Amino acid sequence: MRVRDLAVETWSALDANRGRSALTVLGIVIGISAVIAMTALIGGINRALVGELGLSQAQLVYINVWIDRDLTYDDVDKMARDLTDYDMVVASSYGSATVTTGKKKASGNLVGVKPEYFKAMGTKFVDGRAFTDAEERAGTMAIILDKESVRVLFGDADAKVVGQTVRVGNDECTIVGVVERSADAYGGDNETVNGIMPFSAMATRVNGSQAVSQIMGFAHEGSNMEQVVNRTKDYLALTYNIAEDMREDSMYVYSMQSMIDQVNTTMSSFSLLMTAVAGVSLLVGGIGIMNMMLTNVTERIREIGLRKALGARRSDITRQFMLESICLCVTGGLIGVALGYAGSFALTGLVADAFMGEGSTVAVTPVIDVGTVLFATGICVATGVVFGWYPARRAAKLDPVESLHYQ
Amino acid sequence: MAAVLDVSGVHRIYESAAGYTHALRGVSLTVERGEFLCVMGPSGSGKSTLMNILGCLDRPTSGTYKLEGIDVSQLDDDELAELRALRLGFVFQSFNLLPRATVMRNVQLPLVYCDVAPSKRVERAVRALRAVSLPAEYYDHRSNELSGGQMQRVAIARALVNDPALILADEPTGNLDSATSEMVLKTFARLRDEGKTIVLITHDPEVSVWANRTVHIRDGKLLTDEEERALVEAAIAARPGQGAGRGHT
Ligand SMILES: Nc1ncnc2c1ncn2[C@@H]1O[C@H](COP(=O)(O)OP(=O)(O)O)[C@@H](O)[C@H]1O
Ligand SMILES: [Mg+2]
Repeated sequence: MRVRDLAVETWSALDANRGRSALTVLGIVIGISAVIAMTALIGGINRALVGELGLSQAQLVYINVWIDRDLTYDDVDKMARDLTDYDMVVASSYGSATVTTGKKKASGNLVGVKPEYFKAMGTKFVDGRAFTDAEERAGTMAIILDKESVRVLFGDADAKVVGQTVRVGNDECTIVGVVERSADAYGGDNETVNGIMPFSAMATRVNGSQAVSQIMGFAHEGSNMEQVVNRTKDYLALTYNIAEDMREDSMYVYSMQSMIDQVNTTMSSFSLLMTAVAGVSLLVGGIGIMNMMLTNVTERIREIGLRKALGARRSDITRQFMLESICLCVTGGLIGVALGYAGSFALTGLVADAFMGEGSTVAVTPVIDVGTVLFATGICVATGVVFGWYPARRAAKLDPVESLHYQ
Repeated sequence: MAAVLDVSGVHRIYESAAGYTHALRGVSLTVERGEFLCVMGPSGSGKSTLMNILGCLDRPTSGTYKLEGIDVSQLDDDELAELRALRLGFVFQSFNLLPRATVMRNVQLPLVYCDVAPSKRVERAVRALRAVSLPAEYYDHRSNELSGGQMQRVAIARALVNDPALILADEPTGNLDSATSEMVLKTFARLRDEGKTIVLITHDPEVSVWANRTVHIRDGKLLTDEEERALVEAAIAARPGQGAGRGHT
């Protein structure tokens, strides 16, 4: 029997039972939707995490030390020299000031950084540029805003604002660049301005102190992050004379990798749940398919007898019914892929809140790829094979004489 | 050349919960190419059992059956299926057409199982449908839209389409009125004239008129010529004044 003939037979059989076929595949649709929604979400969350801090995120280590004095950039530079685990060690200082334009006044969360920060973070500019070394040395009042802040200050996130000035506290400050999102932005309501300024300007004009707030190290690619973190802790303990029992209170060193691992752990328990849901509905769906196929076989006993009389071998009959079952499952699966993908958009808000914190500004866009669709299709084929096997064998084993005269 | 079919000493015993039924008790029969043989007998005499064996749908409990010289008892299920696909055509009392499929698709159905290239199927189906004189306007009708006579002609076309060595028909006129029956039987007679070999099973003596040979079956045995003659004479004696015997029902 040719493949083309099989396809024609399968299509006409399914077409004849459209309503029943549609109802029967519901279980498969639900199961596959669950799998797809889950994978699309996990993919989206992973991509959001990666996208948030650039590709170097896994290498990123946050270093915080609390001793009896503030750490300054001198400490940072010393770390950069001493800690051989890192490609680069940078720091930022946090501060706040009122940011005003002609018409608008907003509170600003400000971050002071040195020019190499942008390279380390892989910051992408929507418009304008990073600070120059000259600006850092001179303590020039320059500011880089994110798009959201441009919206807050100028009413339009896409406004061309590079070259314009805003007031930061009492000082005129030139906007030199616009970024998509300020990576260090730490919350605030949606009327808060996030700005990045040269470290020197931040220290003299906003904070009045050379203190650094957050030190960030970028380890070599492929490093064992746990070891890097431990070596960094040892170094800090030695350099700043931190007693063994004070370590917990005096320093906090953690890698993005550990954070990603944590999210992944949470996600994997979530995906376990979804897999269970998917598994159960595939099982129920598969049993539904089997039931329908058994009904099909019973209804078509005479047809089977006829086909055998006309020369169909057992394998022809088996194949015909198997293909019917597989087609049902795959059709259900493809509908499930579409529904699951659509559903994953509906779930993004919910999941982003659950995993990234309430009101998180991290944008999660579900991700679907060819591999996932192929995988889902594979699962459907397998379901079709498993649950179509018994009915198909039953059809194939029917006695031609008895089935021809079956009433 | 070997006879189209050669049956010798065939027994068929059914085993069921109720016990054994000896449905065929030593049937021997030869049919040559181009013959139109009628197997006649009352209900329960073993006609269908014989037909199933001749059609390679069932195997004799003992005895041999050779189809075109091939000993069928040596073949496995798949080989029997292949034989049915290539060498046999069936016509059933209840037509057994696929109701929702068109006439064309019904007639082409056997070709699916004997690996005829799709490009040649329509041509062969049309040739078969012409041989049974079904007007072309019906080719695209669904088979359940046809009359009984038309359905049976479609079924005969289906039996012809693979150009079989032997066409087997089990009570092909059993569900038809006499006018339609005659049309269907004429179709068989014409096929015989074209050289087809036909074995037709019936309980209706009027059908046998169309055949060029008739054998009678009673209780699983074919009657000898003397037994047959005695039977006919007895029938005439029992009903003086009436010409041909009435059908057994
Ligand atoms: N599958 C079967 N199992 C048991 N007995 C059967 C079976 N098929 C037919 N028989 C019996 O065999 C005998 C011959 O049946 P059958 O060949 O169908 O006769 P006919 O076609 O001449 O009416 C009958 O007694 C019938 O009851
Ligand atoms: Mg019968």
